[in-house]
Amino acid sequence: MSPWLRKTEWHAVASWTWDAQDETCGICRMPFDGCCPDCKLPGDDCPLIWGACNHSFHLHCILKWVNSQTSQAHCPMCRREWQFKE
Amino acid sequence: MEFLGASECNLGILETLSDDTIQEITESYDGFFTTVESIVAGTGDSSVEKEFASHVYSLCKHGLDSLVRDHFLRSLEQAFEKRGASSFWHHFDAYSDKNHPSYGEEIKEVLCKALEEISIEKQYHEKCLSVVVHALQSFKDQSPEARLNSDVERVQLFSRFRSMLSSTLMTTLPQHFPEILHWYFKEKLEELSAIMDEDDTQERESDCMDLDEKLRSKNGEMDVDEGFSRHDDLVKNIGKVVRDLRSIGFTSMAENAYASAIFLLLKAKVHELAGDDYRTSVLGSIKEWIQTVPLQFLNALLSYLGDSVSYGTTSSGLTSPLACCPTPSFSKVVTPSEGIVRWKLRLEYFAYETLQDLRIAKLFEIIVDYPESSSAIEDLKQCLEYTGQHSKLVESFISSLKYRLLTAGASTNDILHQYVSTIKALRAIDPAGVFLEAVGEPIRDYLRGRKDTIKCIVTMLTDGSGGNANGSGNPGDSLLEELMRDDESQENVGFDDDFHTDDKQAWINASRWEPDPVEADPLKGSLSQRKVDILGMLVDIIGSKEQLVNEYRVMLAEKLLNKIDYDIDTEIRTVELLKIHFGEASMQRCEIMLNDLIDSKRVNTNIKKASSQTGAELGENELSVDNLTSTILSTNFWPPIQDEPLELPGPIDKLLSDYANRYHEIKTPRKLLWKKNLGTVKLELQFEDRAMQFTVSPTHAAIIMQFQEKKSWTSIDLAAAIGIPIEALNRRVNFWISKGVLRESTGTVSNANVYTLVESITDSGKNESEELLAGDEESERSIASVEDQLRKEMTIYEKFIMGMLTNFGNMALERIHNTLKMFCVADPSYDKSLQQLQSFLSGLVSEEKLEFREGMYLLKK
Ligand SMILES: [Zn+2]
Ligand SMILES: [Zn+2]
Ligand SMILES: [Zn+2]
Repeated sequence: MSPWLRKTEWHAVASWTWDAQDETCGICRMPFDGCCPDCKLPGDDCPLIWGACNHSFHLHCILKWVNSQTSQAHCPMCRREWQFKE
Repeated sequence: MEFLGASECNLGILETLSDDTIQEITESYDGFFTTVESIVAGTGDSSVEKEFASHVYSLCKHGLDSLVRDHFLRSLEQAFEKRGASSFWHHFDAYSDKNHPSYGEEIKEVLCKALEEISIEKQYHEKCLSVVVHALQSFKDQSPEARLNSDVERVQLFSRFRSMLSSTLMTTLPQHFPEILHWYFKEKLEELSAIMDEDDTQERESDCMDLDEKLRSKNGEMDVDEGFSRHDDLVKNIGKVVRDLRSIGFTSMAENAYASAIFLLLKAKVHELAGDDYRTSVLGSIKEWIQTVPLQFLNALLSYLGDSVSYGTTSSGLTSPLACCPTPSFSKVVTPSEGIVRWKLRLEYFAYETLQDLRIAKLFEIIVDYPESSSAIEDLKQCLEYTGQHSKLVESFISSLKYRLLTAGASTNDILHQYVSTIKALRAIDPAGVFLEAVGEPIRDYLRGRKDTIKCIVTMLTDGSGGNANGSGNPGDSLLEELMRDDESQENVGFDDDFHTDDKQAWINASRWEPDPVEADPLKGSLSQRKVDILGMLVDIIGSKEQLVNEYRVMLAEKLLNKIDYDIDTEIRTVELLKIHFGEASMQRCEIMLNDLIDSKRVNTNIKKASSQTGAELGENELSVDNLTSTILSTNFWPPIQDEPLELPGPIDKLLSDYANRYHEIKTPRKLLWKKNLGTVKLELQFEDRAMQFTVSPTHAAIIMQFQEKKSWTSIDLAAAIGIPIEALNRRVNFWISKGVLRESTGTVSNANVYTLVESITDSGKNESEELLAGDEESERSIASVEDQLRKEMTIYEKFIMGMLTNFGNMALERIHNTLKMFCVADPSYDKSLQQLQSFLSGLVSEEKLEFREGMYLLKK
């Protein structure tokens, strides 16, 4: 910085994103950057989770889905056996 | 012969009479005439009266008693006309062409003297009349069958005499006499009022004295007695005039005169007490004045005249009527007579109506001063409860609103503030809001036609700084805060009421229940349930709470984006208040926005911590992470944000990407996307002779930072370097030129502008280290306004609306709305509210595409 510009205080604005392949959750159809129908606050409170198949969902949505299945759960998108990504 | 004409009914008798009899009658007749003349003229002595009596006797004997009466009365009448009436009126000749202000003091004496004279004259005539009564009586006394009627004779004759007397006076009444009477009473009452005022002041002064002095003055008791006896004398004086007027048959004229004088005085008193000060209640003093001046006067007058003497202890009749006169202190228990009660009601009604009219005429000003003017409002409320003339208020106030407030010159803010004050003030008068409904309607209609109404309402509700200029709350309070406090205090009052309620009170409340007045809209709930709800009435203007919340969200977004210190206490409080009124669900998005700020602060701290641990050395031209803070948005919940590309200077860009990387480390797999044109930059520039501080937008900062490398830029190169259109650059560069930091010159290459850094700005005359904010023009707003959003959404309907108007000529708002609903059912279907359509149409009107005339929209030709 040249001595001519003596001080800079920058307050910037950004938005956050989950960086998922899709825009919306395949279960609840809500945007990933929003939150699932059961949550009020997006972000940390309503995280995303990836499956081994690389499909992502709201954590709360896929948990509900997995619990609702009587036998082994499958990915709602690709029908492969559901495994949480390591 | 005169008597033939006078009593034709006796003609039949004449034929049966003997000559002797006729002779006797003729003689008595002549003698009667002569004696009457001297009796009336007052020249006769007792022998004449005796002779007169014998003639009367003789005439009566022949059945000519009616002739005796008629002739005697006519003689009296002639004499009265000549001596009594004409000389009575003669007293007032000098005042016939004067106006009452120039009557002068002496006319009071003239009136008294004239009345005294005519009373003496009347007494004299009555004495004469007694002579004839006596004569007729002595004839009747000898005929036994007429004996019982003896008193009837006297009563009848005297009543004929009195009506003769007053009709004589009435037919010769000069036009200006009632005026003189009126003036007399007015003057006397004013005198009386002045005496009472003096007493009042003395009383108040004596209240201020210490006990010793009070005792001393009690021993003397001079002052009070003096005032009191002056009062008595005055009443006696007036009473005598009234009595004399009554005795000459002017009873109702006298009554009218003093009544109109009392009302005039009362009116003047009300005007004097009311004045233009609305901060004090005057109704109490008016009532007190009625009690101490006119009523006390009337009481004294009526008892002097013997019309009404009925006090707690029945008057024995031994004391003089004046002794019953109530003292100014009203310590005695007095049962007022029916006449006085009626007077009291008349006077109070008149006073209430007068004060009410005065206050209604000034209601606009009173409401501007509200709540300082709440005393005047309370007075008006009581007046209206008494007179029931609420409709007068509604009419008058609406017309003053239309004339003074609902005009192009008044700002929307002023109108809204007056609207809120009106609600508050009228709520005090009319808790059910029945008349408020009627008064508020034109204001609401007018406001709905203004484009900035929603914005102003939301600002007024949520912003403490610009908000209530005349509110009762603490300065800096928003209207919402104030409403909240009102609600709380009202609830407390309700609790207290319940606490003290007993069965008796419950019964009183129940018996006071009244059905809703007809003015009330039956759809709006019953009187007992309905409570005037200021917020509801404001929402009613906007159309729906959703629109209000939407507008607030945009304002909140704008505010939050300009925060650099994460201090959002005020906003949290406001959102909490809005949640109470509009429900948690409506405020969900606002809450997420607030939460973003809270999260951003936390994340910012964590990132700083993480980077200080790594302790990496800063290279040349590198900025420390301490120079950067950020606000991180959950964009889905924010209103649309205007995102424009912007190339930032290398060191800043590096700083941002480092910051983003750290974010990703902390919040994996979440990532940051910078909105580079948004934010706030504080710069301090060092010139040869001084340092200057600026607070500007990132675009402004990016521009000026380019001058670190090169002292001079053409506009084309500069625009390319920071990646914005050249028009946008030129607009922003103006800021730096206006601050004297850059200088503009025309370059050599194809008339492109050249901007050069001014390294010494001694000549600019700017203050040192002044903090300047970049121009906050409409075009630089980062959040799309609700209007803009709506405009974007509505544009597809614009063609349709234009087509409709081309076909139909002109259409009212509702018809356009219904037509759109009917035909635009798909892709996208029309889902806007009436208010949204109205706001869109008023936009088209201001763009001069449409015209709005007499409630109809039409194409602008
Ligand atoms: Zn989901
Ligand atoms: Zn969730
Ligand atoms: Zn899958």
